[in-house]
Amino acid sequence: MAHHHPPMDLLIEYSAGALPVAQSACVAAHLSYCQHCRHSVDKLEDLGGAHLERLDPQPVGESVLERVMARLDYPEPLRYAPNEVSDTQLPGLLDRLINGNYADLVWKRVTQSLSISHLKTGDPNHEFALYRIAEGGRIPEHTHGGSEMTLVLRGGFADESGEYHPGDFLIREGWDKHTPVALEGEECICLAVLDAPLRFTRLRHRWLNPLLRLRAG
Amino acid sequence: MQQKIRLFALYQGTATECILGVWDDGLTFMANKKDAANTVSATGKGKWNIPTGRRTDEWSESLVLIGESQDRGAFTRFFRHFAPLIKAFALSGSSLSATHADELVQEVMLKVWQKAGGFNPEKAAASTWVYTIARNCRTDMFRRLQKFDTPLASDDFELESEEEESFVVLHTRRGAERVRELLGDLPPDQAQILAKVYMEGKSHSEAAAELDLPLGTVKSRVRLAIQKLQGLMEA
Repeated sequence: MAHHHPPMDLLIEYSAGALPVAQSACVAAHLSYCQHCRHSVDKLEDLGGAHLERLDPQPVGESVLERVMARLDYPEPLRYAPNEVSDTQLPGLLDRLINGNYADLVWKRVTQSLSISHLKTGDPNHEFALYRIAEGGRIPEHTHGGSEMTLVLRGGFADESGEYHPGDFLIREGWDKHTPVALEGEECICLAVLDAPLRFTRLRHRWLNPLLRLRAG
Repeated sequence: MQQKIRLFALYQGTATECILGVWDDGLTFMANKKDAANTVSATGKGKWNIPTGRRTDEWSESLVLIGESQDRGAFTRFFRHFAPLIKAFALSGSSLSATHADELVQEVMLKVWQKAGGFNPEKAAASTWVYTIARNCRTDMFRRLQKFDTPLASDDFELESEEEESFVVLHTRRGAERVRELLGDLPPDQAQILAKVYMEGKSHSEAAAELDLPLGTVKSRVRLAIQKLQGLMEA
């Protein structure tokens, strides 16, 4: 069970369909771990239903009804079938984006204990990437120019403010520095959604910053 | 099966009134029971005695009929009620043309037909269920119109539904009724922003830009409004 959740603001925007696709996917992935937030979203969606009932109805021509009635017998569109052979044990949405095993992804090695794999969501403003940290490994101290959402998928990590396990969701804004360290015993895999690149702050790591250029899309 | 549907609709229509009576006007549950011609026992763990003969939720009932027996008559009635609301939703604050709005109505209503079998009247009000479909279709339509290349469709974000415990369901339903009542009582500045967020699908920062307000003000108005409603939603 997750212990760290998206703030209410984000759940509101999620339930209203107002989040960019990469952030929305990250929140949705958290929901698949977290019954508590699912209930909150159900209730927030009810606000949508309540608003819908109160709108001023706009006239719809009879031809629209006729066109719909004529299409009722068309076969339903095909749906994506879950990937049964992958080792990731992830919610369907991520399973679909990863489309295989973690090992099959292209991992770009940034430091000895950190590799990054970028996934395509089509979001023009957000990078959507998996961070893989070796057990006990450390991500060098860094800041963000914008917001960073993190969802733990495997293993866990700790930083200055706590310890995080699968399903835990974090959002950081702006320039607070932190130094996540993967827990012992298992490598840690996290989903990270960024709208500005990570920046290493220590002199000995700064030369790596060009490697962290934002790769949205 | 027919029996079960009817019983449920009555349960839905009246359970809320009984409980609200207890909460708000000090009316007791017994007083409500006395009004009623007869009582039925709701299924589930809570042993509620529910009076019959009050309101029924026509639209939930229609959806169940559409899902179970592909009832075209029920679907036509459902269309006549919801299509004009979906069109209003499509046109609210967005750049969609009337043609696109009609196209959205078609897409949403087709999904209603295809997905009605998955509608669970214990989990959501019919209008809320329609809202989520309309919201998803509109998002996908915006992305299509902007030639936005994504491997994800909004439907991919849906989670498999799971069994809910009956007491949670009852609480949600009671909250849903109250939210609808109290939405009209929100101060105009809060109501305006909440409508912008939910009907226009605007993020807090987009709403702030359009209303020429600081982001913090928008966030706090939304939060205040939700807090007011949340007590009810969490009840």
